[in-house]
Amino acid sequence: MNALRVLIVDDSSVMRKIVDRSLRQAGLEIKEVFEASNGVEALARMQQTRVDLILSDINMPTMDGLELVHQLQAVENAKGVPIVMITTEAGEAHVVQALSCGARGYIRKPFSPDQIKERIIPLLQG
Amino acid sequence: MNSEQKDVSSKRVQLIFSAKSSGPAGSSSKLAELPREEMAQRFTQSLDNAASEVFTMMVGTPLGPSDQAIHPRVADYTAMIGLAGDLCGVLSFRCGNNSAMLIAGKMLGTDEHVSDECVRDALGEICNMVAGSFKGQLSDIAEKCMLSVPTVVSGKDYYLYPLVDGLRIQVSKTFEGALIWMTLDVHSN
Repeated sequence: MNALRVLIVDDSSVMRKIVDRSLRQAGLEIKEVFEASNGVEALARMQQTRVDLILSDINMPTMDGLELVHQLQAVENAKGVPIVMITTEAGEAHVVQALSCGARGYIRKPFSPDQIKERIIPLLQG
Repeated sequence: MNSEQKDVSSKRVQLIFSAKSSGPAGSSSKLAELPREEMAQRFTQSLDNAASEVFTMMVGTPLGPSDQAIHPRVADYTAMIGLAGDLCGVLSFRCGNNSAMLIAGKMLGTDEHVSDECVRDALGEICNMVAGSFKGQLSDIAEKCMLSVPTVVSGKDYYLYPLVDGLRIQVSKTFEGALIWMTLDVHSN
C-alpha cells in the first residue's frame, strides 16, 4: 500500500491530532495530512487536492459531515475516494444516513488505533 | 450563614443552563417505564462505563475509583453538553486546572505546555464522547436522544444552575490521583 494523503475534517483541533496519530499507530504510512474544521473548508481543500482517504466528523458548524459527503459527490477530486465518518453519533439511524449519503465506513468515538485499522484498511485495499 | 451559602453568595457570575425535550410531551420512551431507583442505577453505571472507556481509549490513562460523596459546586474547568429527546437534561464534566492540562497534553501526545484553547477543546471533546458513549449504552431505553455542542467554562467565578426537575446522578473518579467529577441532571418526563 502506498503512503497515504489524508484529509481529516473535525471542528476539534485536538480530535484532528488524535485521528492523525491513530492512523500512524494503526500502522498506516502517511505521506501528507490535510486538516479542515468544517465541511466548507473540506470542500475547498478537495477542489484543489487529491487525497486517498477522507475522515470526517458529523456534527460540525457551518457545514456538517453528512452535507459534506453529499456535496463531495460533485467534486471531481473526491470521486472514488473512501469517506469514513468518525463521530459520537453512532446510533443506527445516523449510520444508515451516513452510508446512504455516500460514506463508506463508520467509526464511533472513542476509538482505538486497532479499530481504525480494522475499518480503514479494507476500504483502501478494495 | 453556612459555608455553602457563603460559597454561592460570593459568586459574581451565575450561569444558568437548561435542556428541554424537543420531542412531544409525555414521551413514550421505555425510559419512562423504569422505576426511579433502577433508572438511577443504570445511569450511574453507564456514566461510569462511558467515562472509563473514553479515558482509556482517548486519553490513554484509565480512571481510578473515588469514594468522594461530596461534589464541588464549581471546578477550574466545567464542560457541559445538553441532551434532548427521550433523555433530556445536562451532563457536566468538571476538573481542576492540573488535571485539565494533563488530559489535554495526553490527548495531544505532548508533555509540553498546552494552550488554554486546546485545553477547552480537549475537555469539550471528552464531555462529548462521554455523553455519546453514555447514550449509546442506553439505546435500548432512550433510542431518540440528541446531543448539543459542548460548552466549556473556565474559572471558578460562576455558579451552575441546571434547570431540571428530575434525577441527579453524580460520579466521581480519579485521574492520575486527582479527582474529576461528572454530573448528569435529567428531566423527569
